[in-house]
Amino acid sequence: MVRKLFLKLLWLYRHSFSLVTRGACRHYPSCSEYALWQFERNTLPRAFGATFLRICRCNQLFDGGIDYPVISKPTIKPTELSINTIKYWFVPTKRNYFLIKNFKFKGSQC
Amino acid sequence: MLDKFTPNQRLLVAVALSFLFFIGYTTIFPPKAPNSEENATQAAVVKPSAAQAHSSVTTEASAPAQEIKTVSTDTLTTISAKEFTLKIDTLGRISSLILSDKKHNGKDGQLSELVSGAGAKPLYIRFADEALNAAASKTAYASSASSIVLGENGKGTVTLTQNLPELTVTKTLTFYADGHYDAKVNLSSEKRYYVYLGQHPQIVEKMMTVVGSMIYAGDNLTTIFKDGDVEGRSIFTDVHMASAFDQYYASIMYGFDKSTQVVVERDTKDNPVTYLEGANNFTFSGYIGPKEYKTLESINPILVNAIEYGWFTFVAAPIFKILMYLHGMIGNWGWSIVALTVLIRIILYPLTHKGMVSMQKIKEIAPRIKEVQEKYKGDPQRMNAAVMEMYKKHGANPLGGCLPLLLQIPVFFAIYRVLLNAVELQGAEWVMWVHDLSRMDPYYILPILMGATMFYQQRITPSNFTDPLQEKIFKYLPLIFTFFFFTFPAGLVLYWFVNNIFSIAQQYMVNKQFEAARMARHEAHLAEKHHEKD
Repeated sequence: MVRKLFLKLLWLYRHSFSLVTRGACRHYPSCSEYALWQFERNTLPRAFGATFLRICRCNQLFDGGIDYPVISKPTIKPTELSINTIKYWFVPTKRNYFLIKNFKFKGSQC
Repeated sequence: MLDKFTPNQRLLVAVALSFLFFIGYTTIFPPKAPNSEENATQAAVVKPSAAQAHSSVTTEASAPAQEIKTVSTDTLTTISAKEFTLKIDTLGRISSLILSDKKHNGKDGQLSELVSGAGAKPLYIRFADEALNAAASKTAYASSASSIVLGENGKGTVTLTQNLPELTVTKTLTFYADGHYDAKVNLSSEKRYYVYLGQHPQIVEKMMTVVGSMIYAGDNLTTIFKDGDVEGRSIFTDVHMASAFDQYYASIMYGFDKSTQVVVERDTKDNPVTYLEGANNFTFSGYIGPKEYKTLESINPILVNAIEYGWFTFVAAPIFKILMYLHGMIGNWGWSIVALTVLIRIILYPLTHKGMVSMQKIKEIAPRIKEVQEKYKGDPQRMNAAVMEMYKKHGANPLGGCLPLLLQIPVFFAIYRVLLNAVELQGAEWVMWVHDLSRMDPYYILPILMGATMFYQQRITPSNFTDPLQEKIFKYLPLIFTFFFFTFPAGLVLYWFVNNIFSIAQQYMVNKQFEAARMARHEAHLAEKHHEKD
């Protein structure tokens, strides 16, 4: 429920206020996209924390660049496996996983 | 492909429609609407005598000031000072308070009446005993003076007495030139009674402002009862201050004993009705007037809490303090807003300066970035990722980042609330055509300038969009904002405009600096070639 609400809010942000911040994000994925992935795949408290830290990092004092979300528990429930339907790659890093978007993914972006 | 388009297109339509609605709404229903809804038939249940007093009021209530004239009670005492004229009626209530400063006048030039025609009036006493109450509403008070003139910093005392069968009510009121008063209520024998705070002034002009009652109690605890949104009855103790307020003005009572019960009830329209439970030898203080920070602070610092900026007070109040400080030095609210913008720019300067430096570096790797962009032309996501990786590898990033921009949003909103709620900014002038920063620019000059600067700023600032449609909307943003800002307070548009100017200036300086650096390199390169030839 809460997750859905936040995803909706993020959608709203990405289609309105995001224009005010004029695509100024220093990262890939951009902060709002990062938040989207986090809220989609991580536990809520972790998604909150990570997103907050990420926004704090998004200024000229930090380097920016590629910064993928790290999640602890990948959930995989694919109904169909092909290069066009896979949304994220879970790439192991130590005990967690990087969340990396499949560029070839053809489904809904949100 | 079409599925992808629709949400964005839907958004565009939604934005356009909401503007049309917004503009249409404000033209068809000028924000005066809350006033005319207020008809005098209310409140018969809670306040018998108040209702009685208003039986002669027509239900076609237009302006509060006109209603006052038709009220049947007579004026007993008039207190006049430089800033206001206050009247006490034969039922011992404050029946009228008119501010003399022209800036408080309504749009129609009418003098502002702070005591609402409808509802309870300040200092009205209701007894728990119905029979006594009925007698009290028919017996006129006697006053020790019929008119008092207060000089600068002066004060004057009036004693009001009401002789009821078996009971004598004595109200001793001391009025001060700054608008506050000390009150002492004395009963010849012990009776239960309540002192009313009065209905809030009804000079509401703008939407989006909170109007109602506020109780400030205990440990910094503020409870607000909005008009039309009161349920049941709430009782408070350990109250520091009770206020009935509208956008700029308030009737406040404070300085009573900690054990005093303060009750907030709803009337027939679910608006709050606030009263204090009286005691024998009951003393308290009160204030009726504009919520001006300095005035309130000088009377009693606790009164400052009556200034309310909605749920955003925690950001708006500090912003207002900074603005007030700047105004103290500069003397003009418009220039104070400009100075505030400069201040925010200075705070963000370390960030923007860092951005400048990395901007220089980026041009060195520009050809390689172009190469990558060419390579992933059809796939913006992948292109972005590749470009970002490039930036990181070279430790240079031309983009400003989300944080500095996200920080602007609360500041912007806080200024909006301050312009809306701070009575000090009423009628604040800037230059030439801007006569009131708290209202919209009558000639639309500032919004248009704002839109133009925004457009130009967009053109010279690097950006990073993953969604090409988002980018398209982005291009229309200056136009949308211009329309949106037409109805906004001029002060707010001024802030945004000045902010844009500074951004442009900074960007211009960066570009210039880079140009110089490139020229220098180019020359060095040429010189080298010459060398080789020789």
